[in-house]
Amino acid sequence: MRVLVIEDYPPLQKAVAKGLREAGYAVDVTGDGEEGLWYATSNEYDVVVLDLMLPKMDGMTILKRLRAAGRACHVLILTAKDTLADRVHGLDAGADDYLVKPFAFEELLARVRALARRAYCIKNPRLEVGDLRIETPTQRVWRGKEEVRLTPREYALLEYLAMRAGQVVSRTDIWEHVYEFNSEADSNVVDVYIGYLRKKLERPGRPPLIRTVRGRGYALGEGP
Amino acid sequence: MRSLRARLLVWTVGGMALLVAVFGVVVYGVMRQSLNRSFNASLAGVARTIGATVKQEGGQVEAEFDDREIPAFRHPKHPDYFELWGEGRRVVLRSTSLGQKDLEWREGDAGEPRFDDVRLPNGRDGRRVTLAFQVKADPEEQAKQGGPAPAPVTVTLAVGRETAPLKADLELLVRLLVSATAGAGLLALLVAAIVVRQGLAPLGALAGRIGAIREDNLATRIPLDGMPTEMEPIGRRLNDLLLRLEEVFRRERAFTADAAHELRTPLAGIRSTMEVALSRLRKPDEYQQALGDCLTITRQMQSMVDNLLALSRLEGGQTALQPEPVRLAELIEKCWSPLAAAVEARRIVRRFDVPADLVCMADRANLARVLSNLLANAADYTDDGGRIEIVAIAACDAVGLKISNTGCRLSPDEAAHVFERFWRGDSSRAATGVHCGLGLALVQRAVTAFGGTVDVGVAGGVFAVRVRLPAAKA
Repeated sequence: MRVLVIEDYPPLQKAVAKGLREAGYAVDVTGDGEEGLWYATSNEYDVVVLDLMLPKMDGMTILKRLRAAGRACHVLILTAKDTLADRVHGLDAGADDYLVKPFAFEELLARVRALARRAYCIKNPRLEVGDLRIETPTQRVWRGKEEVRLTPREYALLEYLAMRAGQVVSRTDIWEHVYEFNSEADSNVVDVYIGYLRKKLERPGRPPLIRTVRGRGYALGEGP
Repeated sequence: MRSLRARLLVWTVGGMALLVAVFGVVVYGVMRQSLNRSFNASLAGVARTIGATVKQEGGQVEAEFDDREIPAFRHPKHPDYFELWGEGRRVVLRSTSLGQKDLEWREGDAGEPRFDDVRLPNGRDGRRVTLAFQVKADPEEQAKQGGPAPAPVTVTLAVGRETAPLKADLELLVRLLVSATAGAGLLALLVAAIVVRQGLAPLGALAGRIGAIREDNLATRIPLDGMPTEMEPIGRRLNDLLLRLEEVFRRERAFTADAAHELRTPLAGIRSTMEVALSRLRKPDEYQQALGDCLTITRQMQSMVDNLLALSRLEGGQTALQPEPVRLAELIEKCWSPLAAAVEARRIVRRFDVPADLVCMADRANLARVLSNLLANAADYTDDGGRIEIVAIAACDAVGLKISNTGCRLSPDEAAHVFERFWRGDSSRAATGVHCGLGLALVQRAVTAFGGTVDVGVAGGVFAVRVRLPAAKA
């Protein structure tokens, strides 16, 4: 899942980005309104965490421009403005969620998870594909009754594939949603991580979980 | 008497009563005079009738008047009286009602009837008319008798009548007038009460409207349509007051909201930094980093809270300022020293032209705060490689200080807002935490408290703050 954080207060920006990254998200960060809008319109983000009082362009303008441009990314407003009018105004301008500073980091993570699920029309925080089971809140993965240990990056890749289970997911999509803007790795890294996942998840004698669809990408579970 | 209603009632009813009373007195006077006059006229009429029957015959005065024919003289209880005297007070004729008694003899004025209030022989109050006239002998009789014509004889006639009926009439009149006055007074009271109540109703309505205004509905205005003309100025003033009040409340709310925002954001920073740091076991240097971040935020918060407190104390007049002579150059250098290294690193040129012997009157601690704020602003907003000028001069009874820096992106219009609390200029250069927009507000309040002035100007990318402080008295 890829998250954009637009927050101008450096310590908070740093903490939020760090926390989200540790939770397995690919996080892009900016403290500047105009740059934030540019990031949000030129990349596919699952969730945008948006501060309202920003240099150069305020959060409400960014939100309105995003919606006017037809961007469907899920926006969580993270602000110190706590009045009823502010909240109503924010949600009515097209935000999906509103969280007032200071906040519990746990809550921010839970809300980002919920928005990420919603991005793929999923309600159940527990994802199941065949005998593969993923608990998104705790990021634990089981194959049958056996728990599988994954690195955060492997988990992020698997979660994305699971969110889109049954569909063919292109390398570009994976690249867009699992890796950060400033990632140094090239797109081969996708294939490498698919290899890692297969090694940890596939069981001999069972049908393969991650299928390669020639020329189009990968698919998790049954499907076309 | 504080009640407007009571005052209006008393004055209107009192005024009306006085008017009616004066009217009554006048009516009484006129009526009394008229009744007296007709009483007198009637009395004089009777006297003339009797007088017309008086004759002189050979020096003897006679009257051919029979009072038995006139009912007024025959009244058993209140009869009229008359008595006729000839020469030498000789009684010629008296009314039957007198019996053997006499009316008191009085000299009559020749020709003119004279009226006197007297006690009548029956012991009642009455009035008499006294008439004196000359009786000549009848020329025909004289002609028959021949001889020289006798001299005319002067006779005096008095007619008395009880004044009880007149007094009764007058008493009736008084009673009538008094009751009419009282009735009119009561009626006036009733009418005035209703009129006053009706007239003062808009005041009550206004009080109700004002009473309903709370701090959460200050936007309401008192409707001036249909308000009595006399109250319109009050309504208008009240609306003006409400407008000002609303503005003050709006500013205070904005201030509170801004202060909350400025405090919440760093709080969120501390909380998130700590929560993320605690979310798993980390290496010591990561904890160190997190603690360092928290410390930085705490310092910023502390400075902001200090500024906020200083500002609110200055505005509330709680700061006891102790003006003393302060060497400006010395204090500026002291406030500059924490900034010097960072400014030099950014290749900023500083021009410092403050005479060492320049002394101004100010509260030292607060002036230091003012200078620190101004210098920190200048240092933070100057572009790298830019220029800061600190110039001061003595001008008669004041000291002028100008601190200017290049790299200003404010328009003159924006510059007009710099003294507002929490106002930030180009926020791209003043991100949350570093400058929260309190510094210049504090500078202004403090300098004003010293008895000085401060203003800002923007020209050609140079931002200048001019401070004028009272000079120390020699």
